[in-house]
Amino acid sequence: MTLIVLSIKDIFRRRGKSLYLLIAIVIPVAILSTILLTFDNADSSLSTLASKFGFTLIVQPKNVHADKITHIGVNTEEYIPEGVVEDVKKILQDTIRNPKDKVITVVRLYEEEEVLIGRAKAGSVVAGIDFKTELEAKPSWRLTSGRWPQSNREAVVGGTYASSRKVSLNDALTIGGSEFRAVGILQNYNSSDDYMVFAPFTEVQQLYNKAGLVSVINIQNVSLDKDRGLLQTAVNNINKNIPNIMALSPQQFSTMKYTLLKKSLKFLMAIVVATIVVSIFSIFNIVTSVLYSRVKEIGLLKSVGASRSQLLTIFLFEYLLIGLLGGLIGYPLGLIMTYLLDSFLLKLGAGIHVNILYVLVALLVGVFCSLIASFYPTHRLSKITITESFRTQWEG
Amino acid sequence: MGGMIMDRSSNAPFLELKNVNKTFNLSSGQVIALEHVSLTIGKGELVALVGPSGSGKTTLLNIIGSLDRPSKGEVILEGVRIDALSEENLVQFRREKFSFIFQDAKPLRMLNVLENTLLPFNFFKPNNRNGNIRDEGIEVIKSLGLGHRIYHMPSQLSGGEIQRVAIARALITHPAMILADEPTANLDRDNRLFVIDTFRRLSKEKGIAIVFSTHDLEIADRATRIVHLKDGVFLKDEAVCCAPCSV
Repeated sequence: MTLIVLSIKDIFRRRGKSLYLLIAIVIPVAILSTILLTFDNADSSLSTLASKFGFTLIVQPKNVHADKITHIGVNTEEYIPEGVVEDVKKILQDTIRNPKDKVITVVRLYEEEEVLIGRAKAGSVVAGIDFKTELEAKPSWRLTSGRWPQSNREAVVGGTYASSRKVSLNDALTIGGSEFRAVGILQNYNSSDDYMVFAPFTEVQQLYNKAGLVSVINIQNVSLDKDRGLLQTAVNNINKNIPNIMALSPQQFSTMKYTLLKKSLKFLMAIVVATIVVSIFSIFNIVTSVLYSRVKEIGLLKSVGASRSQLLTIFLFEYLLIGLLGGLIGYPLGLIMTYLLDSFLLKLGAGIHVNILYVLVALLVGVFCSLIASFYPTHRLSKITITESFRTQWEG
Repeated sequence: MGGMIMDRSSNAPFLELKNVNKTFNLSSGQVIALEHVSLTIGKGELVALVGPSGSGKTTLLNIIGSLDRPSKGEVILEGVRIDALSEENLVQFRREKFSFIFQDAKPLRMLNVLENTLLPFNFFKPNNRNGNIRDEGIEVIKSLGLGHRIYHMPSQLSGGEIQRVAIARALITHPAMILADEPTANLDRDNRLFVIDTFRRLSKEKGIAIVFSTHDLEIADRATRIVHLKDGVFLKDEAVCCAPCSV
């Protein structure tokens, strides 16, 4: 039998007290894990959030004046040569300097015309888009009914457009003199997309004789979403190096959200620190009461030859094990709490993922709480002499 | 206190206390626990310390066993002044030379009888052992009449059996000296006699010096020597022999 086996046997002997200690450790670990996991989920869902509310960066023609903007806020009169897309992409990649961080460029061609819906005409903004790229940039894009276009003569309409113009699935839409079939109705996102008709990009270019031209280049990138300074540098670099265009960051939602999230994290971390401090005091009290009830046992162990360092090994190993166990239980509890928080309150929808780094953090925090709180009482009690521990019995 | 006076000069001096004094500084003032105590104990002696409460029996046991240091005087064991050893050296010294039996030191509740007996070897390795230490533990337990209790937990034992486990634990390290404080205090007569007669057998057969404190004169009479103390002062040191053995 080794000192470690003695420690383990003692944990099981004092099941009740060990359970109290475990609870005192599990609570802060679970809270910390919940906060870290929730923050992580929020962080990873930023791109999704961004896609709901807009892109990271928009590049549009330089001479877009207010009077040339449609009622839904898009330019249908000025254009950018399609070749600029690659130039913009290269400048962004040079600015970000992270080959793993993908720069998604989504081009659109906007045209305004009276679209014939059945027999009725309706003023509309037609957006020529590449559905595949658009969906890559906006994974949250959903159809309320129908499907995505599979041929060049199929279109999708925005949710508000469909309800206001009474467009149903399979209705015929005459765009640029050619007939399209409405095969999908887009969910509403409180953006200009809700009011548009979407048709395949190359078809729209051809129908409106705008081959080689685009109205806008939308850019999405996670690094730029997170770093306001880098985003501004990217804007400046594009504007400096490419003539006749203007890069804007009109949708700084994700940056703001990230900043808010960081501030929230600081506040929540303060709560975690407070919980850890309370937990350490609780553990300290429990350990002290346990050790004082073991004074005679300490005397006995010393009398059979235990040195002070061996006693410290026995006691601290006990608390190390309980700390590790607290971390092991606290982390999955944090996962469950994160899931419940997300399901019923935050609705980030990022899912629950086991993060090995956070498992290690949970274990370290568990061990830290346990050892910090137990070090002083174990250190003090291990110094007690055999005669002191048996004083009541040895008084002759 | 019957028995005959023995010639102690035949015993080789094993432990020697020279003019030992012990005072405690308490808030209520200074208390003299031992005053000018000189004592020589030979190997194989079974010494009973008797005296009223507060006479200094426990203090003397503590000083003999190096659990406490004298305020004045010397404690010499096999030529080594143990009162002058560092705490670290004392731990090593105690492991090699002493075993302790306490009145109320119950076995560890999470260990069975055998594990409690072998407890010291969790902290140091046994010296000069040829056989298996576990087998030796079982033999010691059996020799104390606990053969049917080897794997029982302390909660399943009677008071007398618990004290026998303490004796087994004391014997397993092959000590030169066993120090026992009131080892029979909470036991019935049969168990008291069993404990003291076991001590007699061990001191005679194995040459272990055993010093124990007691209030029980029937038990003290079975020792080979009785040391009387009162108010920390040596009253009388008498040797006895031929006490009846009940084992």
